[in-house]
Amino acid sequence: MAESKGRPGSASQRPTGGDKAVATQKKQYFRRKKVCRFCVERIDDINYKDVKLLHGFIAERGKIIPRRISGVCAPHQRRLSDAIKKARNIALLPFAAQI
Amino acid sequence: MRIYEELFIVKPDAPEEEIDQFIEQMKTVVANAGGTVEKVEKWGKRRLAYRVDKFREGAYVLFQFNANPESVKEFERRLRVSDLVIKFLTVRIDETLKRLEKRRKDRDKRAHKRAASAGSAGTPQPAMPAGETPVPGMPGLPKEGSAA
Repeated sequence: MAESKGRPGSASQRPTGGDKAVATQKKQYFRRKKVCRFCVERIDDINYKDVKLLHGFIAERGKIIPRRISGVCAPHQRRLSDAIKKARNIALLPFAAQI
Repeated sequence: MRIYEELFIVKPDAPEEEIDQFIEQMKTVVANAGGTVEKVEKWGKRRLAYRVDKFREGAYVLFQFNANPESVKEFERRLRVSDLVIKFLTVRIDETLKRLEKRRKDRDKRAHKRAASAGSAGTPQPAMPAGETPVPGMPGLPKEGSAA
């Protein structure tokens, strides 16, 4: 409610858009609604030592996957990026991976 | 006093006894500064994500301790001076632990409330229509619970 009031038109551009069918003039396609994995699985602790968990949120090159793609909610993305950066500092994750 | 976590990487070619000796040494550093060591974990050798001082792997050691900010400085200085350690990371975790504890408590409380209201829904409010009962967890329900 508040969002649409504050910035009209922003709702349609939100990354985690609805699960409604988005109809364009030419073709119709469905976008599945993305959900934050940390909210759904109730993961409270995003720890920098949990390499297995963090690995799912970095791209092949070692970059942090943006939440517009992964669907992580803002508070969790904040903690996640902190954790990934800590893990990089102690060589658990790469700054830039070779492929 | 704050709770800290110290993760450091020891050279892979260091002998096991030397690492143990170094760990003991660091324990006394914390103890001398008036802190207490909560736990020490040796992860063993792991591949590093990138090369550090020409090493491709290293032995990780995790310290968790209670200490003053000043004594952490001393602890870090020791790590920096040591020839064994190639990298270290200090993280203050007392606030994180507190936050996690609070979240767990809140979650338990909510689950309790939900279980209580779901269990008592049949008896004390017989006037409620039958259609209302299968919606626990909806935002309306906790409000009822807090009012009662």
